[in-house]
Formats: sequence, C-alpha cells, structure tokens
Amino acid sequence: MPGEIAFEFPELFFTGLWLTIQISVLGLVGAIVIGTFVALARVSPLVPLRWIGGAYVEFFRNTPLIVQLFFLFLGLPFLGFRFSTDTFESIFRAAATGMALYHGAYVAEVVRGGLLGVDRGQIEAARSLGLSYVQMLQHVQLPQTFRSVIPPLGNIGIALVKNTSLASTIGVAELLYAAEIVESRTFRTYEAFIAATMLYLLLTIPLGIAVNALERRMLVVR
Amino acid sequence: MFADPAIWGFFFEGVRETIYISLVAVALSFVVGLAFALGRLSRKRWIRWPSIFYIEGLRALPVLLLIVYFGLQGSALFRPIFGPDFELPRFWAGVLGLSMYTSAVLAEIIRAGIVSLPRGQTEASRALGLSHTQTMRFVLLPQALRLMVPAMMAQLTTVIKDTSLVGTIGIFELFKQGRTIYTQFFNPVEVLLIVATIYFVICFALSQASRRLELGHVPRAARVKIQDIALRDQAA
Repeated sequence: MPGEIAFEFPELFFTGLWLTIQISVLGLVGAIVIGTFVALARVSPLVPLRWIGGAYVEFFRNTPLIVQLFFLFLGLPFLGFRFSTDTFESIFRAAATGMALYHGAYVAEVVRGGLLGVDRGQIEAARSLGLSYVQMLQHVQLPQTFRSVIPPLGNIGIALVKNTSLASTIGVAELLYAAEIVESRTFRTYEAFIAATMLYLLLTIPLGIAVNALERRMLVVR
Repeated sequence: MFADPAIWGFFFEGVRETIYISLVAVALSFVVGLAFALGRLSRKRWIRWPSIFYIEGLRALPVLLLIVYFGLQGSALFRPIFGPDFELPRFWAGVLGLSMYTSAVLAEIIRAGIVSLPRGQTEASRALGLSHTQTMRFVLLPQALRLMVPAMMAQLTTVIKDTSLVGTIGIFELFKQGRTIYTQFFNPVEVLLIVATIYFVICFALSQASRRLELGHVPRAARVKIQDIALRDQAA
C-alpha cells in the first residue's frame, strides 16, 4: 500500500501531522483575531487607523511568507527578542506567529468586504438609536458579517494548512520535514513523499469538500 | 557592506533569477493549465475524470512539497527518457514543481472564465455549424482569456512570491541570495528587510496593474470563483 512507510516511522510522520494540525489551528485562530482588528481599522472613521490597516495588509500580502518566517526566527533574536529559551518552542512560536500575521492580512481583506457588505440602514439605525460606535460594531455590524465571511475564511484555512509546510524551512518537525528526514535516512524518496502527500490530502481534501458544501449552503450574496 | 556595489550586484542577480523562473513557470503553467481546463470541460468521461484528479489533487498539496520532491527525485524521474546519466538541472526541477501547482490553479481560473460566458454564445456558435473545438477556439476562449487576464496577473504575483521557495533546492533566486549574503555578514535583519522590500515593490506594482486592468465585464459568479481560488490556492 502506498504510504506504508509512514507506519515504519510513526514518530516522524504522525508527530509531524500533529504539529501541522497544531500550527494550522493556532495560526488560523491568530489570523482571524488579527485580521478582524485590522479590518476594523481599515473601515474605521479615523484616517490614521485606515492607513495603518492598509499598510499592514499590503505589506504582508506582497512579501513571501518564507521571508516573514525567517525574519521572525532569525531576525528578531538579533533585535533582542526571543520567543522562548527553548529552541523547539522558539521555532514553533515563530512559525505560528508568522502564519497568523501573513494570513491575518488575507482575513482582514475578507472581513473588510463583509463589514462593508452589511446593509447601511442597519448601521445608521443603530447609531440613531443612540448606540456608540463600538456598541454598533459589537451588536449589529460584526454579527452580521460573520455569516458572509465563513466560506472565504474556510478557503484561507485550507491555504493555511498547506502553508504550514513552509515551517519546515525554519526547522519545525512538521509533515514535510518528516518526509525530508525519512528520505535523507532511507533514500526511499518516492515512498516518503507519497506518504506525506497522502497525509496532506487527508487534511485538505475533506476541508475542501466542507468549504464547498458551506458555500452552497450559505448562498449569501457576496 | 551596503556601500559595496558587488553586494547590490548579488541582489540584482537574485532578482533576475526570480523573474526568469517566474516567467518560465507561468508560461509553462498556462499551456498545461489550458489543456487541463479544456479537459475538465470535456464531455468524454475518460478525459474529464483524470483532469479533475490532476487539478484537485495538485491544488490540495503544498507547493513546497512538489518543489522539494522534484529537487530530490527529478533526475531519476527523467532517466528512463534521457538515459541513465541524466541530471535534471536544479532550475528545471524548481520550474517543474512550481509549474505543476500553478497549472492546476490556472486551469481553475481559465475554467471559471469559460463557464461564466453566457450560454447563448455556445448555443449560437453550435447552431451556426461550428464544432466543439471550433467553438472553443474561435468564440469561447478568446473571450474567456481576455476576461481572466487580471486574475492571471494576480497569479503571476503569487508565482513571484513562490519563487522564494525554490531557494530550498539550491537555486539562487532573490531570497537564497539574501540568505547567502547574511550568513557571511551576520546582518539578517537588514538583508531580510531589503529582500522583503524588493519583493514588495515588484508584487505591489503588479497587483496595482492587475487591479486597473479589466478587459471586459466579469460576471459575478466568475468573480466569486476567482476570489475563492485566490484565497485557497495562494501559496506563500
């Protein structure tokens, strides 16, 4: 059976799979938090906030993720900031942070689209009823954006799972790293990479089907 | 370090390699992607199903995995054709990995364009006696490709960012050049910021150009599909 080699080296492949999942989840949660704040900044009535939000999005979208990861892992210690004293924890946190910052820019664009898509009348009615700007966001605008924003967030999530493979370049022992290590030890390149491929497909194909189903279900006009 | 013009020469060589890889990869991906897009639209099941497997399978994998695989195994893969001593140049291993992934993405973009055209176009051209191939060639594809130019330019931007990944198999594109420089001079912060700025300038210029370039009205369904593709398949 293709991919059998994964069972010969379970401590590499399956630990790698677990690390991939961990970075994906942490990265996605972080990305959603960061992205929502940046999107709020971009639609804010305060012009400096809008500019900062715009700069964030353009910077993190137009630079490669791997450059950002290397900066967090190698550059920050030079500037005095270390994520942790333990190397493994340090690279794991650098990877998760990099994922969150990079994908946060994409989440910001999607959430901004959602915020702008909320019916203007709702916002005007909320403000004229005496709700403050923050209360309006909290009780009227944000809840309504969530519905329209979930399918694109699902797509970003799939991209995030695939992008965790870049963490292997800074030393995180995730799935692609496992395949590389096994290959360098046994020279069974095809088997090792087929195993990694199948495990990645195990993650991304169900996610893809789920997102497609969500999109069909939530036919909110985008 | 920065006063030394030789260093800037290194950066320039990296940029040149990056642009070269991107253009070759996009050209190759376009041809292959077009073939698979048309394959996925075929009425013959024995063409359609393999096309679906190719496109969806490659879209679901990380680009880096493909690049590293071809970097390690590329030479061995082509030995049956080119003889037992064949060594695949690293440039082509990187281009191959990048192109396979990008061809799947471009196939989806092109298919989105074709499918979004009004059904009347197909019906009219078939009614006028044009065959399926002629319809594609003279009626549907010219319109679809023109509509998809902004999306394809956006994909070029993504490919330029993805070339940063081929450095892992030893090609001296911009990011790898940067790594070579800062391992010698111990200044990763400055070098990485310079590299990031260069990527930013190139990609930002391209994305602004693609935003302003609209060669025709793109129907909402295609617009949504392209946004989904852009979000799901952007790979670093």
